[in-house]
Parts: sequence; C-alpha cells; structure tokens
Amino acid sequence: MKYISFAIALIITISLGVALSLQFGSIPPLGKLLDPNHGFWQNAYSEDQLAKEEIKLSGLSSSVIIQYDENLIPHIFAQNELDLYRAQGYVTAQNRLWQMEFQTMAAAGRISEIVGSMAIDLDRMTRRKGMPFAAEQGIQFLENTDPETFKLVQAYADGVNQYIESLTDARMPIEYKILNYRPEKWSPYKSLLLLKYMADMLVGDRDLEYTNLHTILGPELLDKLFPLFPEENDPVIEADKTWDFTPLQVTKPEGVVYPNDSIFVKTMPQPEPGVGSNNWAVAGSKSASGNPILANDPHLSLNLPSLWYAMQLTTPNHSVKGATLPGALGIISGFNENIAWGVTNATRDTRDWYAITFKNDDRTEYLYNDQWIQSTFRIEEIKVKGEASYFDTVVYTHHGPVVYDQSFRAERQDVNFALKWTAHLPSNEQKTFLLLNKGKSHEDYIAALDHYTSPAQNFVFASQSGDIAMKVQGRFPLKWEGQGKFLMDGNDPKMEWKDFIPIEHNAATLNPTRGFVSSANQHSVDPSYPYYVFDNSFEHYRNRRLNQRLAEMNQITIADMMELQFDNFHLHAFEALPVMMNYIQADSLINAGVEHVSYLKDLADWNFFTFPNQTAPTLFHLWWRYLHRSVWEDLRKSELPVVLPNNYQTVKLLANEPNSSLFDKKTTGIIETAKDHVMASFDSMIVQVKKMEQDKGDYTWANQKNTTIQHLVPNFKSFSYEGVYTGGGAGILNATSERHGASWRMVVELGEEPEAFGIYPGGQSGNPGSKYYDSFLKKWANGEYVNFKLKKMENSQTSLFSTTLKP
Amino acid sequence: MKFTALFVLTVLLVLFLGPYFSYPYLMGVIVILAYLMASNGTASFFASGLAMGLVWLGKAISISIETGSSLPDKMAILMGMEQSNLLWVATGVLGFLLGGFSGLTGALLKNLSKPKRPQGMYRY
Repeated sequence: MKYISFAIALIITISLGVALSLQFGSIPPLGKLLDPNHGFWQNAYSEDQLAKEEIKLSGLSSSVIIQYDENLIPHIFAQNELDLYRAQGYVTAQNRLWQMEFQTMAAAGRISEIVGSMAIDLDRMTRRKGMPFAAEQGIQFLENTDPETFKLVQAYADGVNQYIESLTDARMPIEYKILNYRPEKWSPYKSLLLLKYMADMLVGDRDLEYTNLHTILGPELLDKLFPLFPEENDPVIEADKTWDFTPLQVTKPEGVVYPNDSIFVKTMPQPEPGVGSNNWAVAGSKSASGNPILANDPHLSLNLPSLWYAMQLTTPNHSVKGATLPGALGIISGFNENIAWGVTNATRDTRDWYAITFKNDDRTEYLYNDQWIQSTFRIEEIKVKGEASYFDTVVYTHHGPVVYDQSFRAERQDVNFALKWTAHLPSNEQKTFLLLNKGKSHEDYIAALDHYTSPAQNFVFASQSGDIAMKVQGRFPLKWEGQGKFLMDGNDPKMEWKDFIPIEHNAATLNPTRGFVSSANQHSVDPSYPYYVFDNSFEHYRNRRLNQRLAEMNQITIADMMELQFDNFHLHAFEALPVMMNYIQADSLINAGVEHVSYLKDLADWNFFTFPNQTAPTLFHLWWRYLHRSVWEDLRKSELPVVLPNNYQTVKLLANEPNSSLFDKKTTGIIETAKDHVMASFDSMIVQVKKMEQDKGDYTWANQKNTTIQHLVPNFKSFSYEGVYTGGGAGILNATSERHGASWRMVVELGEEPEAFGIYPGGQSGNPGSKYYDSFLKKWANGEYVNFKLKKMENSQTSLFSTTLKP
Repeated sequence: MKFTALFVLTVLLVLFLGPYFSYPYLMGVIVILAYLMASNGTASFFASGLAMGLVWLGKAISISIETGSSLPDKMAILMGMEQSNLLWVATGVLGFLLGGFSGLTGALLKNLSKPKRPQGMYRY
C-alpha cells in the first residue's frame, strides 16, 4: 500500500512540476509565469529600482558613462564611436530587447516561430517580398564596401549580445515569459533587417489594382480620376524651383501594350491612406530669434513598446540627440550642436510587377526577350511553433522574387508575378544616419544622403549657420511616362528599368526665397521636373494647410511650431462640407426646423477644427465615409482588387460635375446624380450617429475616433491604451487617427546652443510593468513636450541614475 | 515539532534559494528535506505546502507594494481575472500545491525505507 501511495504522490508532484512549465495552446506556462522570483512579478520593477552603478562590458577601450534623466532618456558619454555604439546596443537592449527582436523576426518572416501556424501566410508574404533576401544583400554590400560602418554595426550587435548573455530569468522581458520563448543572438544582419522593415512599412504600390482599373475604366477615365498632378499641386520642392541640371533622356517605347486581363490575386496590405508625416524648417528671417527652427513628426502605426527610443550619444567629437530605432545605430531624427534633420516618407512608385512566363511547371526557366533564362530557387523554411516547419519555394528571376503564383494568393496556374523593388538593391542607409549624426554643414548633409536608397524620404535640414534645406532622397528608377504604373510583361526588355536618376538630380532645395521648406508626403515636385514621378498615395491636404500656415506666419517661435504640429484644422472638410451642405440645401432645412436639424446646425456652425470634445467632426467623418462609399459603389463591389479615387478627386467631381455619368449606379433603373449620393449618405450618417449615441453615450470626435496605442501583440489588450483623448485625424496636420499618428514630435531651434523639445506616444521602457512604459503618453495626447536639450556630463546626483560601463 | 521544523526550514529554503533556482529545483530540495525530517505524510504536505505558499504569497504582495506597478492589474486582465488580488491568491495556491506535494513525496519516500512493524504470533 505504501508503495502505491508513494507512486501516486510522486506522479502528482512530477506532473505538477512539468505541467506548470509547459505551454498549453495559448495558456502560458503558469508555474514559470507566477513564480515570484522569476516570473511576471519581477517585471513590476521600474528601471530606476534596478539601476546598477557599474556594469562590465567587454570590448570597450575605456569606460562609458550613461546618465539617465528623469524621463529615463539615456545620455551616453563614450570616448570613441566603437565604444559609443557598443554601449548603444547594450542600453537599447536593456530597455527594448523584446521589441527589437520581434520587429526583426517580423521583417524576416519568422512570426510563426512565436505564435504558431496562424502567421504562416504573413511570413510567406514577407519572405516572398524578398525581405530576408534584401537584408542578406545589404549585409554583404556593407561588409565588402564599407568595413568601417560594418565594424560599428558589429560593435552594436556585440553590445546587444552581452546584455542577452547577462540576462537572468527574472529580468527577461515579460513578452518572452508569456509567449514562452527566449531571445536569440543579435547580429548585424538583424540591424539591416530592421531598416528593411521600415521600407516595407512605408512603401506601397497599386500596380495590380491600376491594371484592373485600366481594364474597367479605360485609359481616359483612369487619367481623369487619377491624374498625375492635382489641380492645386503644392509640392515638397517649391513649384518655382529652377532645375539646374541636364536630365537623362528616356523615351516611351513604341507599341507598349498593357495586359488587359483581369487580375484576381489577393493583393498585399498597403500603407494606410491619409496618414504620413510632416517636416519643415523655417529660416532665421521668419523666426523671432533669427535662428532656424526645424520640426518633424513622422506618422506611423501607434504601437507599444513605442517605435522610437530617445537617446543622446556623445563622444569628444560630437554630441547628438533625438529618436533612435531600437536595433539600428545612431539617431534617426534629431540634432547635434550644428545641424538638425528629420524625415517624412517620399512616396514614389519604386515597386513594379512583371508577369513571368515559365517554360513548364517546374519553373526552372522563364521567358525573357524571347529566350529561356534560368531561374533560381530559394527554399524558405518557416519554423512553426509546436508544429512541423512549413517549406515555401520562392522562384527568383532577374526582375526579383515571384510573389504571387498558384501556391500563393492566386488561383490561376498562369499567374506568376515577380516583384522588382529598390529595397532589394544593395545599399547602406545606416551610413547616412551615422554621417548625419556628426554632420556640421549642408555639405555634410548632402554627402550623408548620397548613401541612402530606400525607403525614399524627404530629408529636412537646418543648420546653426543659418541654412535650411530639403532633399527628396532615394534611389529612383529612370522611368518613361507610365512605366511601372501597371503590371508589365516580364518577357519584354522594353519594360525594364534602364537606369536610375542620378542622385544629384533628385529634387532638392537650399534656402528658398519663401523662407521655409516643408514636406507632408505630397507630390515631390511640380510638372516642370524633368523626370516621371508617380505614386498613388500622395497627400493633398496636410501639405496645403502646412504651406499656407508657414507662408502667413512670421516672428515664429518654438511654441508656434509646437502648435502647428498639433494643428487640428480639417482642410478636407473645409472644402467638401460646403458642397455637401449645398446639395441638401441645409440652410432651408435648418430654417424649416426639420427632423435632425440639430445635426445640421452642428455642421453649419462647425469651425472645421477637430478637437476631441467636438461632435461635428464625427458627423462629417461618417457622412463623408458613406458618401465616398456610395459614389464609388460600382467600383467597390467589383470582384477585382482596385483602388478607389482619393478624397481630393472625389470632392472635385462632386463640386464641378454634379451630373457626371460616374454618379449613375449601373445596378439601379434610375439615373443618379451627385445630389442623390449626398442625400442618401446623409440619411445613413443619421442612422449611424443615433446608433452611436445609444451604444457609446455620445458621438464626440474622441469617442468616434478611438485612438488606440496598441501593443505589438494585439491580443495583449491590457498592455495597450484604447480611447486616448486627443484630436486630429487622417489628412490633418495632427494626423492622429485610430491607429496611426505622430509617432514622434520634435522641434529644434538652432541657436548658439540648440533648444530642443520632443515627445512620442509611450515611454522609454519596453516593460509594461515599468512606470516609464507610458510616461510620455498623456503629454503626447495633450500636445505637450519634454525638454530635449543636449546635456553635458554632469554630477550624477542630478540624474535619475547613472551607470558606468567598464571594460 | 517536526511539523514546525519542516515548515521553518522550507520557508528559509524557498526564501533564500528561490531567487537563484527555479521552482522545479526547489521542489527537489523540498522532497529531500521532507525525507530527512521523516515526518508523516499529512504533516509534511501541509508544512511544506504552507511554507512555500506563504513565501510566494508574501513575495508577490511585497513586490506589488514595493513597486506600486500596474502590472498585476494588467496581467489579471490578460489572464481573464477581475481583480489583481486573485493573482496573489493564485500565486500562493500554486506555491502551496508545489511545496505540499513535494513534501508529501519526500515523506512517503522515507516511509518506504522504514522497517515493517512486527505483527502476529511473535508479537509480545
């Protein structure tokens, strides 16, 4: 009997010990998680409670001092760049290890390793787009052509790895504990993957959708609804710019034929319309102090841990401060004692698609210039948590990887679409940022940008010496008009990119007479620029509002620039609402006191600002949404993937052509006009607003918009913040919509000593248990900033805490 | 007496070795401790269980108070609990079960090696 008792007790004990160490489905290992010495309880400590005065970091040539200010912003003081970036890697990993690894795993198509088979499709798409391939090309290029930068990237990786090696179970970021995996070694390859991740996040294309539109609408209507330049083009580089170079010549080949087949592939997700970024600089002649002032607010997905991590990096030769991307070296958007710079996305069609004809089903040869060319295969092993690996064979042509084929998002056997993308080109974006970090002049800025390929950015610049500048930088294919707008024949050499626009021909300006430079993701140039410039997603509202305000402002102060970054004026509504109100004869309805008159009065009295407590923005937003849907219903209901005309063109059509045949729905027996759509959408809006009042209590803008800062794992809802009370919206300078917005705001005045302020939605810590996880959030939502002034090494008593890294 | 001794020794063990060793190692040491203490099964179960449970509960409460962190609340929501206090209870109960069954196993192992009590006609 006693043997049986012992056996039962032993089995229960072992079973408990083992079962509580294992993950069952989505339930984490509860024993490990609840163990107060090693589990989640240990993540309740904030960084200042765990601070160490000294840490050994091998590989340093001398000690590095890190002083954390009251916001947990580290100020790293090193004697040379190798030590500086080794320390940057270590410190970044201390605060953001899980995030930086997760983002690179996403960029490498390895999310299935963490979350299981639900991510296989996503991972296949990432790999078929050639992201790991591009990073491999990049690391080879870096190693061969720029060993100095490669050494710095290696030092950064070593810093990260030394932190990983020192990591105890207790200090492991909480996400590893919940998802039950451990960090792996960092490498220079991962830093490059991160930069490719940014390219993927920012670059879109609609070639396949345009191909379908070409078939549905025909070329004339397509050009009318999607013109190359809008009526009121207000480009990045001032419209009166004189181009002082002789352009390369490229002519459209004769007899170009576009495929007129309908394309039924499930196209990839695209960057969110209406969001983007702003940057600008005003010359001393327009500022109150006589110093140039620069501002930058990149708008990206609003996530936690925050995309950005603030730092100051100092050596005896330079001192730079601003926003870093955890995983990449240096400051990405920031300033030093001499210059400041910032970035916005320079949207441009740098991704093209080629239809490939293979000789047979084994796809080892494809047709090019009527010759059979050897293809290559890349076998992608996608490891899947708790399951066998998934193997995906990706065929590579000289154009690039075949993304869509019969095994992926296409049903027809003859669909083989290869992707050509500038992000696949060998490049050295890291060098650009390292050079900007220690730049002193406009010449240094231009020299730094020469290394930059993708994703194309509008780099704004200001210097203490009084220069302001803007350059649209990227590696842009030299295209004939219309090239790459539609799917191209991969067999036809005429469809190839023949060359690239020389970087000195990229649109740029220095000290324009208007006294400011600015960009907001709009068209880079006006039609006088001698190269073909096309993209589907150019901005039409933020740019005009920004330039109008900058043109009329004088005696500008830092506070004015902060106010402009938080500007909530809704230019789209300002232009569209009067047209809509006119169609429904709102004045007469208000005077007649009809039902729903309160909504109409609210709209009629609206000042076109979008503060969180206002209700009119909600009314307009819903009304416009239903109107846009209604006008383009026939296109929307097409079974083919298409892109719809943007808000700007739709407003133009409503205002100028009320009886256009485009308003007539083919599915009804009557002929609709603009007015019919406006009336019907108004009714739909009323129904929706009433429902919202019932469900949510009110229909204020903040309630409707529901700005959410979401943890990178969306299921971790309690690590996210929903319903952040703030204004703005897509297409507005304060472009804070539901899930996108200003991921970083910075204003710098370049006087004798730079004055700088910055903020981002989140906090310095990546740990949801730390008080620094969300410490910036409230200030960000209110349009406030924290001081980002450059700091000199000071007595550690004035810091939150100080750590010395010893060799 | 043995109950108290096992309880105190287990408390000290979990308190001082806990930060350095994960709970499966602690379970192994508790088994050995209970074996050496040679207490009966029920006493070992409750002494070891209460010791580990109370230390874990105390540690969880002290971290919550020391840090003032919102993490327990966030974790409670993530784990489908309405109150973060339940996480204290869950941590304590888990410690009790792990410690208790380890203690019971050690005691029953000791029981195996005890000589059988003489019985029958030769018993005087």
